[in-house]
Formats: sequence, structure tokens, C-alpha cells
Amino acid sequence: MLAGQIVNGLVSGAMYALVAIGFTLIIGVLDKLNFNHPEVFMFGGYVGLVALPHMPVAGAFAMAFLVGGLLGVLTEWMAFRRFVGNDARTTAALSSLALGLILTDLVHKVWGTEPLRLPNLTGWLSESFGLLGVNFLNLQMVLLAITFALMWALHHVIAHTRMGRQIRAVAESSAHASLLGVHVLRVNQAVFFISSGLASIAGLMLALRADTVSPDLGLTFGLKALAVMAIGGMGDMRGAVLAGLGIGVLEALMFHFGLGRLGELTVWAAMIATLLLKPAGLFASGHHGQEQRV
Amino acid sequence: MIADHLFFTCINILLAWSVYVSLLTGSLSFAQGAFMAVGCYASGYFTAKMGLPMLPATGLAALISALIAALVGYPALRLRGIYLILATLGLTFCIRVLLENMDFLGGIGGFGGMKGGDLPKAAAAVVLIGIVLWLLSISPLQRVFDAVREDDRVAAALGINVTAIRLIGFSAGAAIAAVAGMLYGHYMSFVRPENFDVTLSIYVVLYLVLGGVNNLYGAILGAAIMTLLPEYIRFLADWRPTVFGAAILVLLLFRPDGLLSFRPRTALSKHGRALNAPGV
Repeated sequence: MLAGQIVNGLVSGAMYALVAIGFTLIIGVLDKLNFNHPEVFMFGGYVGLVALPHMPVAGAFAMAFLVGGLLGVLTEWMAFRRFVGNDARTTAALSSLALGLILTDLVHKVWGTEPLRLPNLTGWLSESFGLLGVNFLNLQMVLLAITFALMWALHHVIAHTRMGRQIRAVAESSAHASLLGVHVLRVNQAVFFISSGLASIAGLMLALRADTVSPDLGLTFGLKALAVMAIGGMGDMRGAVLAGLGIGVLEALMFHFGLGRLGELTVWAAMIATLLLKPAGLFASGHHGQEQRV
Repeated sequence: MIADHLFFTCINILLAWSVYVSLLTGSLSFAQGAFMAVGCYASGYFTAKMGLPMLPATGLAALISALIAALVGYPALRLRGIYLILATLGLTFCIRVLLENMDFLGGIGGFGGMKGGDLPKAAAAVVLIGIVLWLLSISPLQRVFDAVREDDRVAAALGINVTAIRLIGFSAGAAIAAVAGMLYGHYMSFVRPENFDVTLSIYVVLYLVLGGVNNLYGAILGAAIMTLLPEYIRFLADWRPTVFGAAILVLLLFRPDGLLSFRPRTALSKHGRALNAPGV
């Protein structure tokens, strides 16, 4: 029972981590908050709703990544490109927030404000297996595997490819990177594409697990990833992953021990406590930890 | 009907002002809904359960709200960057969950029994707080606020206690939001924690952005437009978030100071100039 809950928590935690990685990538590269990110996450579920009747699950994941990524590029164009420099932080946050409002409202207009059911999964994915007396759903295992595969792939891209080097260079200093011949705009677009694509996939995974999609998920589930990012340390991907998994398990444990009514509080209280005690985040290593004090 | 709309316009003006005051020192807050909830529940508890008159209840509620703001704001305000935005978002969710779990305040079912809020009281609050804010805008404190907002390093070098000034702005904003919450609660006479959702906090910030962040009158304009227009134009009521979001986007792109703006440099108006600014 407890083991089952912990696995459940790990699956939610993996989704938090995927969304939080997106926040942290954009914070790392642009030092800005993308408030459209939670809504792109929410939209991933709707991509699944449209795609699943027509194609296999793998196809739906590819669709979600593509559509989410394009939404990310759109976000960069509409809400971030004009607002450069450290001082435009607030402006960029507000404009992406406005974009998120529009996206949510359009989803309301097309699919209604109520949660919708996804088509039922059939075949192997809907089955479960027992191990050491604990029942595991195949779907959960697949979602976990996909998440870790994506994280590994992202790590590989950032650490070992040309684009990854450019991303790290822009994160260090966009002015210097551009002097050295890095096309900063392309890098920004790539970062938005990757981060939003991952968020959209996370949204699809949440929809698959819960069998429903809801337009409210952006502001409930998606925003929590922002807190997860702050707990892990801004601009730090490893921190986002660890904090995501930790918070997922912690929430599952809260439910298990009958504190479900306070479950919503867990992540935010943990974030405020982190900001109080270790403002740079639990696992912070990057330059965002320094130079923050007045 | 019209009194109804005017009442909510007053509430929204107060809320937009509460954002304005904390933005004066450069802190963007997404917790005004939570402070409104604190003000509403606290004043409601004092009047409905303890039988206090309305005015002292309001004062106490504003004080409690400001104290909570100071407690949560202090660690976040010492830091630069987006920490305060995060902390205020966290506060919004925490306060809502806490209210849902406090049974002596009605819990998730809601809290009722307040009465006596009406349009004249709301208008009086708007006029009073407006006068205070206007006095502030011609006082030396305004220049200290400006210095902290425009460049906190310079302000600190001038001997200004940056954290304290930010804390004052943030807490004052929370107190004003609490007054708005008091009026709202005593007008509706029954409130639930879900009335003070995070969307409320987001909208309040956008009212101010629409009207103009750098002066007193922008908040009035933004709140009035966004409260009154949808009541009379059907299309706007149906497409409110889209129209609102698009208006904000267009505004930020082409007139980043908001509709009403006359002071040259503000916390929000630095794009294009940012690369020339020292220290970037």
C-alpha cells in the first residue's frame, strides 16, 4: 500500500520535474519567468485528447512535444523578444501571464470549462503486474521510463552537443556569447521549444494517468512546478529533478497519512521554508545562487 | 444594479492601489487576493463573532494582514530578482488551504454573518486611501521609494535601508488589500476560500498594468475599465480573459507604462533603454 503510494508519488514527481526543468532552463538562459509555461503544460493534455483517437500513444507524445514546442516559440516571440535586459523581468513575466490567460480562455471556448475524459487506453498499457505483493500499473512504469529517458536526452543535449554548448554560453552571458558568434535568438528559441515541449509531454502524461484533461491544471498542477524549481535552485536542472521527485513522494505520503486536506500546501510551504533558510535553493550551484543579495 | 457595479469598481480600485503601493518599491505581488482574504476573514471574525464595530475591526484586520506580509516578505525582499513573486504565489495558495482547514472560520463551507458593507463606505475608503496615497506622492518618502525601485544599489549607497523601505511598501499594500477584503466580505455577507483564488491576484495586477503602473490614477482607470465595460458590452463579458490578455500584451509592447503614464522612468519601462543602463 505504502510502496504503491510512493510509486504514485514518484510518477507525479517526475511530471513536476519535467515542468520545473522548463522553468529552470528559461530562468537559466534568460533570467525570466515564463508564466505561459503552466498553460502549455495544461494544453499538452488537450493535444492528447485530439491526437489519441487517431494515432498510437507514441504518436500522441510526438505531437504533444511538437505542438508544445511551437507554442513555446510563439511565447518567445510574443512575450519575451521585445523585453531584453535584467530590468524587463517584470514586464516579461506579465506579458507571458497575459498570453497564458488567452490560451486558457481559448481552451475554455473550444473544449468547455469542465474536465473531459480521454479515450480509454487498451492493450498492454492498461494492464498491471504484481511484484513483491505490490501492484504496479504498466502505464506508471512507462511514464517513469519516458520521463527519465527525456531527462537523460536533455542532459546529453546540454552537455555534449553544439546547441547545448551554445545554450550554456548564453546562460553564462548572452552579450559575450553573441560576441563570440552565437546566434542568441536561435538559442532562445531552442530553449523555449525544448522547455515547452517537455511541459506539454508532462501534461499529456498527467492526462493519461488521470484519464481526464482539465483547463484548470495550469494554475493548480503547473504552477506547483514553479515552487519545485525554487526549491531545487533556480537555473539548476539536477535540483529541479531531485526536488520534483522529493515533492511528489512527500505529497503522496501526506495523502497516505491522512493529511490529504493539507496536500495542496506541501509544495508551497516547502518553498517558503526553502526561501527562508536557503534562498538559493537546496541544490543550487550555478551563478543564480550568487549575486542575489542586495 | 449600477450600485453593485460601482461597489465592485471601488473594491478593484483599492486592490489595484494595493498592488501599486508595493510596486512603488519595485515588488510585484501576486498575493493581493490572499491579503484580501485575510482582511475579509479577520474583520468578519471581529464583527460577526466578537461584535466589534466595523472601524476597529478593519484596523485590526489591516494590521494582521500587514504583519503577515512583513513576516513572509522579509526573507524574500532581502533578495533581488523573482523571489518575491514566488513567495507571494506561495502565500496565495497557503492562505487558501489554511482557510479551508480552519473550522472556526467555516472551513471549506464558507464564512458568513458579516453585514453593513455598502457603496458609500467603499467610496469613502477609496477617497480616504486615495488622499493618503496622494499625500505620499508629494512627500519625500515617494522619492525614497523611487530611488529604491529604480536602483537599489544606488539607494543603499545613499544610506537608504532598502529592505525596510520595500517591507513598508509591501505591507502597506497588504493593508490596503485587507480593507478591500473587509468591504467585500461585509457586502457579500458570505464568503468562501475559493473566492480568493490565484486568478483574482493575477487579475488585480493586470488591472494596474492596464491603467498604468507609475501613478495613482492608472489604477482607477484600469480597474474601472475592466470592471464596468464587461457589464455593459456583451462581447467583452464573453471573451473577457482573451480581450484582457490581448490588451495587456499590446499595451506592454507599444506603451509599456500603461495607458496613463507621465513619469519618464519606472520599474516597468526600461526595455530599449536597458542595454544602455549602467551595470548591465
